Amino acid sequence: MYPISRRMTLQAALAVAGVLALPGYAVAQEPTVKVAYTQSRSGPFAPGAQTTQEPNYLLWADQVNAAGGLNVQGKKRKIELIGVDDRSDMETIVRSYEKFMTTDKVDIVLPPWGTGANFAVAPVANKHGYPMVAPTALSQKLVDMKLPYYFVTLQQPKPMMNALVDMLAANGVKTVTVAYMDDLFGLENIGALEPALQAKGIKILDKKSYPLGVKDLSTMLKGMKTANPDAFVGITYPPDNFLITGQSKEIGFAPKIFYTAVGTAFPIYRERMGKASEGTMGMGSWNPKMSKAAKTYFDAHVALNKREPDRWASAHAWAALEIIQQTVEKVGLDRKAMRDHIAKTEFDTVLGKMKFNGTEEVGVPGMVGQWQNGEFEIVWPPARATAKAVVPKTWN
Amino acid sequence: MKQGTLFLIAAVVVATALAALPAVASPFVQSMALTCLMFAGLAVSWSMFSGPTGYLSLASSAFFGLGAYCTAWGLAYLPWPVVVMAGGLAATLFAFLIGLVVLRLRGAYFAVITYGLGELVKHTITHVEKTYAGTVGRVMTDTPSSNVVYWTVLIIALLAVFTYVRFGRSRYGHALRGIGMDEERAATLGVNPMRVKLLGFCLSAWFAGALGAAIAVRWTYIDPNTVFNPFIVFQTVLISMVGGPLTIGGPLVGALVFSLLSEFLRLSLPYLYMILLGVLLIVSVLYLPNGLAGHDWRGTWQKFFKRKKADVQVTEQRHE
Repeated sequence: MYPISRRMTLQAALAVAGVLALPGYAVAQEPTVKVAYTQSRSGPFAPGAQTTQEPNYLLWADQVNAAGGLNVQGKKRKIELIGVDDRSDMETIVRSYEKFMTTDKVDIVLPPWGTGANFAVAPVANKHGYPMVAPTALSQKLVDMKLPYYFVTLQQPKPMMNALVDMLAANGVKTVTVAYMDDLFGLENIGALEPALQAKGIKILDKKSYPLGVKDLSTMLKGMKTANPDAFVGITYPPDNFLITGQSKEIGFAPKIFYTAVGTAFPIYRERMGKASEGTMGMGSWNPKMSKAAKTYFDAHVALNKREPDRWASAHAWAALEIIQQTVEKVGLDRKAMRDHIAKTEFDTVLGKMKFNGTEEVGVPGMVGQWQNGEFEIVWPPARATAKAVVPKTWN
Repeated sequence: MKQGTLFLIAAVVVATALAALPAVASPFVQSMALTCLMFAGLAVSWSMFSGPTGYLSLASSAFFGLGAYCTAWGLAYLPWPVVVMAGGLAATLFAFLIGLVVLRLRGAYFAVITYGLGELVKHTITHVEKTYAGTVGRVMTDTPSSNVVYWTVLIIALLAVFTYVRFGRSRYGHALRGIGMDEERAATLGVNPMRVKLLGFCLSAWFAGALGAAIAVRWTYIDPNTVFNPFIVFQTVLISMVGGPLTIGGPLVGALVFSLLSEFLRLSLPYLYMILLGVLLIVSVLYLPNGLAGHDWRGTWQKFFKRKKADVQVTEQRHE
């Protein structure tokens, strides 16, 4: 390395100033677009938020600004991203969004991570007339609140469970055992799963619930091993996925179809479980093989964040940002106009066509994914499949 | 007497200013004030019992969560003040029942069991909700406006302060302090420790429960993990410790400093604030064992002042 001389520094400074001066003149005239959000960087929500949501916000702002800014009805304006840690604390989340909407009067707000946080923020956004398009909220109750300014891009329990049951039936499954988490997510999914199984004549041999933070499920799994079902369905979260998969392998519970719900599509599941991840099915919507747009998104995500996006809600987060971007391009930053545009328009996104019926997105169907040779392939429905389901699952 | 009047005047002025806040301040300032008031209320109610007795109670989360669940169950059927009162009463009832058992324990055992009981309530509610109501989380619609919530929390916090002062001066307050100094001696002198402790424990529980009931509506949706969050009690204890639980100023100053500081650090130093907060807590525990309000600031000042002087006039020091 050459030592940096004063002359070189001067030359560099002049060059930078010169480069900045040219477009700077034009850019300086357009104010920035303030986009604010909270994400959990600490606390129990942090792993989910930092896998699925915040990397997408950063990528989006980076890409849009690199292309000259956000297109606001033909005018390019730079995005000023205001992101703060919400400590996974409800009161902090509510307070921060109140600040964004009333004191800071930002142009756009992006949602926080998780169903509980979205429940807390959705009415606030609605009250202050800020449209919000959320990727990580999963509850029929939230949809049923019918808040006009609030939209969810993620598939809700019913389409997801219907897709799962259709896939089970197509693979000749006659019996299942079910484990689910003791919370709203678990109960709503069970509520959707049971009638769907009944309609297809699939019998539930055993059904057990467990609390958040459980450390041992071997007794439950041994019971299920004795029941010897064709398939296992776990309505689970990331930490329990590792536990259930690992302990099933240990005790030799090896049904031919093995399904765990949220977080199966996280790359960390593949990394932590290694061989045992092969053939595990779970909630997913996409992978880079699905389309050119998906591949572009995947590569950009890896390039900026140095890690892969998850194969379910990450793309829904990206799609939510695409929807915001297309809306602003069309109608500008008038929030009422934005809301009306989002409510009635069909959008082109990384996941294909998206359209809202009230709060719920109805363009993207429920899907089932499966880890096959290191990729989370979409195996159901056939119209969206990137590979055929591999049954039975390999365990060793 | 004079000091009492002064305190009363100051309290009335502060209360009026706080009550008028929604009319003049921005919603953010108001919600910041709400957080301060919530933690002030929690810390004062905690100090009411744990300050004089030295019993480290970690049950505040359980009280808070019970209150919150009362709101979730009752909001649709009962008027708002009744819901908040009921939230407090549920916590009091719970405190009475567990108090009969756990107040026989002391020291670390007491802290651990009160924490464990919080978990017990959490899982009990989860089980009951799942089995009989077919749900776990609850959505609250038709919630009172944010001003009403703010005023409710303000009233509860003021009531807590008032009760703290009155209770501390009463016969029972003296008895409670006596128990804190030496439980056996207090008993020998004619105090019934169980009865007095139970009274203090139940009284302090009411405020935590009522605050939980009042604040829960801000979140629209609650589930056991949100409202039985152990961080609520950890923060409450920290605030009381940092402020000093033995004077009324302690928890109040602690709540104000802690809420404002953590918010300021969170917004201005997003990646450093946890570390800074941790360091500040360690420093205050090491150097301010009696809390901000309980610390002998004059003594520190004199010590500091004298040490400087000591370099010049060594002989002066001997007079002390």
